[in-house]
Amino acid sequence: MSKRLPGPERRLSILKSAQQLFAEKGYHGVSIDEIARAVDVSPAILYRHFSSKKEIYDTVLHELSGKRESYVDTVINSGTGFEDILAGMTQVFIRSIDENPDMLRIEMQSLLEGGDATGEFFKNRWKSFTDYIEFGLNERLPYDQPNREITILSAALMFQGMVREALLQKYLQPHDRLEDVSLYELSSELVRLFLRAVGIEKSHLSRRAVISA
Amino acid sequence: MSDFDAELDATGLNCPLPILRAKKAITGLESGQTLKIIATDPGSVKDFEAFCKQTGNTLLSSGEEGGKFVFMIKKAA
Repeated sequence: MSKRLPGPERRLSILKSAQQLFAEKGYHGVSIDEIARAVDVSPAILYRHFSSKKEIYDTVLHELSGKRESYVDTVINSGTGFEDILAGMTQVFIRSIDENPDMLRIEMQSLLEGGDATGEFFKNRWKSFTDYIEFGLNERLPYDQPNREITILSAALMFQGMVREALLQKYLQPHDRLEDVSLYELSSELVRLFLRAVGIEKSHLSRRAVISA
Repeated sequence: MSDFDAELDATGLNCPLPILRAKKAITGLESGQTLKIIATDPGSVKDFEAFCKQTGNTLLSSGEEGGKFVFMIKKAA
């Protein structure tokens, strides 16, 4: 048995070990016993802190996913430009994954496991981007533009796809090609290309939007 | 007598839209006036606290009503 830790430290060590296990094996692939073993305590001690595996999982997501990417700073500091806010939000999100790449793995696991075990957490995170893009494009695209609805839906999908793909290639299948490019630089350029693709030209985004790694 | 001067319905919207909309709505108010915001994004609680802290507007109250989050913000002088 590991030495006695004070409550809050014990709780945090459980969350960290659980996070690692969920990242490797997904929600269904991990048992309470396994988490207990990883932290070197009996399941009874574990149950003092959490009442179920589901509770551990939800807590991992909510507490360890980085200072819940608050886009408040971005909104306050970027004026009201759609381009700058989108670029700022992207950098904040990228940084949250950079600081804890296990979140990306847990998300990938949850996609294959299906929503009922793992809930709406990840969907909700992307919704910030898709809502914002839909809102921004709704304002920008001419009302009489043909296929307006599908353009907006596709744009949001394109954005999510490119950001997620960049993260996957950087963290889950490192490519030589991307070795020398920082994720922040890459995502900044992706946002620029995205804006161009949807017809919003901005020759260069404010320097502040690029956070160096 | 109502206890707010303007109301913003941000239900169904995720961060940063509630904040963005609030920011815009507040510019339309006079100092001392109050904006009521209704939101469903659970993150909005922390977001509005941070928003008020950073912009100097006053968060008069933050609570729940009928399953939604309700915020009252007073525009700074």
